[in-house]
Amino acid sequence: MTTNPHEADTSPLPPPFPASQTPAEAQQALAVLRARDFWAAIVLFVLSIFFLWRTSFIPLWGANRAGVSGSDWYNSAAIVPLGIFTGLLLLSAVLMVVAVRDGGAKRALSAVGIGWHPGEALRFGTIALILFFYIAGLVPRVDFILGSGLLITALIYGYHGGHPKRMMLAAAVLSLAGSYAMIRHLPQSEWTAHDDDWLVLILWAALTIWVFMRERQSRVHRAIPIIAVIAPTLLVCAMAFGFRQNVPNRGGLLFKQIEYHYYVTLKPIWSQK
Amino acid sequence: MDFVLSQLVGFGGAFVALVVDPLTYVYLVTSVFLGITFGALPGLTATLAVTILTGFFGNKIPLDYSLIALLGAYVGAIYGGSYPSILLNIPGTAASAATAMDGHPLAKAGRGGEALGLTTTASFIGTLIGTVALLIFVWVLLLVSKNIASPEKALLALFGILLSGTLMSEDLVIKGWIAGLIGLAMAMVGMDPLLSEPRYTFGWSYMLSGFQVVPVLMGAFAVPQIIEGLRHVEAGKMIALQGRILPNLAAVRRHLPTITRSGVIGTGVGALPGVGEDVAGWVSYGVGKTVSPDGKNFGKGSLEGLLSSETANNACIGGALIPLLVLGIPGSPPAAALMGAFKINNVIPGPTIDPNIILRVVAIMVLASFTMWILGLFTARIFIKILRIPQTVFLPVVMVLTAIGSFSVGGGINDLYLMLGVGVVAYFMNLMKYPIAPLVIGVILGGLFDETFRRSLFLSDGDLGVFVSRPGAAILLTLNVALISAQIPALRRAFANLRRKEA
Repeated sequence: MTTNPHEADTSPLPPPFPASQTPAEAQQALAVLRARDFWAAIVLFVLSIFFLWRTSFIPLWGANRAGVSGSDWYNSAAIVPLGIFTGLLLLSAVLMVVAVRDGGAKRALSAVGIGWHPGEALRFGTIALILFFYIAGLVPRVDFILGSGLLITALIYGYHGGHPKRMMLAAAVLSLAGSYAMIRHLPQSEWTAHDDDWLVLILWAALTIWVFMRERQSRVHRAIPIIAVIAPTLLVCAMAFGFRQNVPNRGGLLFKQIEYHYYVTLKPIWSQK
Repeated sequence: MDFVLSQLVGFGGAFVALVVDPLTYVYLVTSVFLGITFGALPGLTATLAVTILTGFFGNKIPLDYSLIALLGAYVGAIYGGSYPSILLNIPGTAASAATAMDGHPLAKAGRGGEALGLTTTASFIGTLIGTVALLIFVWVLLLVSKNIASPEKALLALFGILLSGTLMSEDLVIKGWIAGLIGLAMAMVGMDPLLSEPRYTFGWSYMLSGFQVVPVLMGAFAVPQIIEGLRHVEAGKMIALQGRILPNLAAVRRHLPTITRSGVIGTGVGALPGVGEDVAGWVSYGVGKTVSPDGKNFGKGSLEGLLSSETANNACIGGALIPLLVLGIPGSPPAAALMGAFKINNVIPGPTIDPNIILRVVAIMVLASFTMWILGLFTARIFIKILRIPQTVFLPVVMVLTAIGSFSVGGGINDLYLMLGVGVVAYFMNLMKYPIAPLVIGVILGGLFDETFRRSLFLSDGDLGVFVSRPGAAILLTLNVALISAQIPALRRAFANLRRKEA
């Protein structure tokens, strides 16, 4: 199979350019990639089989549904998915062959060959925890300004400078806030409760004070509270009042007050003729 | 002649309507500024700029203003990538990767101001070349596309996905195809378009309407970049800008043949379905190196080399809009995000598109390129200051933007779960060097492919010959087969042997 030398626009980071890898490093990177390809081929193979099985639930050969005869095979809703998952199955087999031929299987099975060192695993793991608890726990249940303020504070403090202990602290704070909101108020009917808002506010304030105590000299860290307050407040107000759109958790602790004063105190000022 | 005149009159009307509206300037200046900022910050891309603004402006303001915001950001971001390429030797976007080859040596030689000024002007001219091509070819193709029926549409959608997968793959080509197939598979979720048969919904009512485009775009383009970018990076040493930025006319005139050639190449590459600005930049750079008398100095600080890539990546924008507007097939990853904006505004790009929208797009592109030129020349030092912001500071804000943008388009928390799920998958795909653009193009074109493929079979009573019975379909089928065959090692070897024997 041929390769292309350029980097796609969608790649997460720009390529180190001009090429910063030595031939030995490039060889090592390729070996790691083939080990990952080996595991990816297995995952793709299993998924293709699973979805081909699920496709069999869709009538293909003019099957009857509730007494109504289905259409011919060529108009079945299964025909295109069948082609897609068969294609995926074939390509996963080709990928497996390439990975095995290039030594990916040996490397993947003999050691931790996928090239993910503990530092990177910790970085990814903590970010995944933070994003999960923010999206699944805080956004639906907690005031958007408070939740996002905590997120911004935790992410900048945790990842600026690349210190593992800070990453863990950031993840712990977000996990505590998110898991409390999820456990205490799992059903949608309870999302308007405010005890989780207060907890997030306390955690945000505590983390901010901690950052100030530890990093008083750093310009970046001094800017955190300003960014953490202004960015989500501006965004949510622009979305709610500028574009009149739905925003998460309208009944949140802070947003409820902002919305009340916007419509009751401010809006009448410019609405009066 | 009448046709050309009527187009010019139509374009003039759209242009004047935009120029006399004060709100145009508010959206234009803001979006171009934001676009250049996104492009200039390494770790943020043009696709991300258009995606995030789609979530923010997509269906909240009238389509005209929404298009101004999105196209302004698109034009600005592709140009903005040249700042870190020249000053830091780090491409702001992949589209500017080739720019670093000559831009950085020029800056090191104390010619950073000259490089930036010429880049700005070349990007401006390049965008205009692409826009003129858009104005001309979109009408020609629209006339042709009136004769396109279901078989051609299905094969064209497949060709777009395959071509994008082939050209955007950094590693194995099959990885691009796998990404495209995953996108197509995602598009199959929900009620099927012809029989309303639920597919892969797993009894979840949210899945009945299928995956929404904006959360998928946000997940595919924003989340992986946030995850990848939240790491400590030692900022490269920024080279102090020396010399005046405002280019002199004689220098521009001297390089006009290079700029024109690169503009044409960029437009042509952009017009290929699914192929983005980065490919345009590299192709033009490669051609420039071969044909330019200064070719031997490419990579050592050649202005010709710099202009070859920078003109082409901006010219690519106009080219990328041609297949999007005529056929509903995005010409580049940011154009795929733009397609998402059209979709959430209930505008279906393709042969049935309102011609006035095309004229407005052309008028906006002209205004956006002027705005980019002016901002680039007179506020360059602001963008250079922005370059110093660490990505660990702005990426958390991007995450908040992504969350609220994704939520407000669909108005549901499920869209956020979808965004996060797609984001994590896209992150691992990036890690394993799978291109994400074919996946998104697959999601966007999946519905079209499914519907037109089955309609073709339905109309021909299941006769597969329908895909070769019409000349257009036969040509497209041949192209698809050739694209796949070209990657099969046995066939490649056979062709090579044949060629050797003939020789």
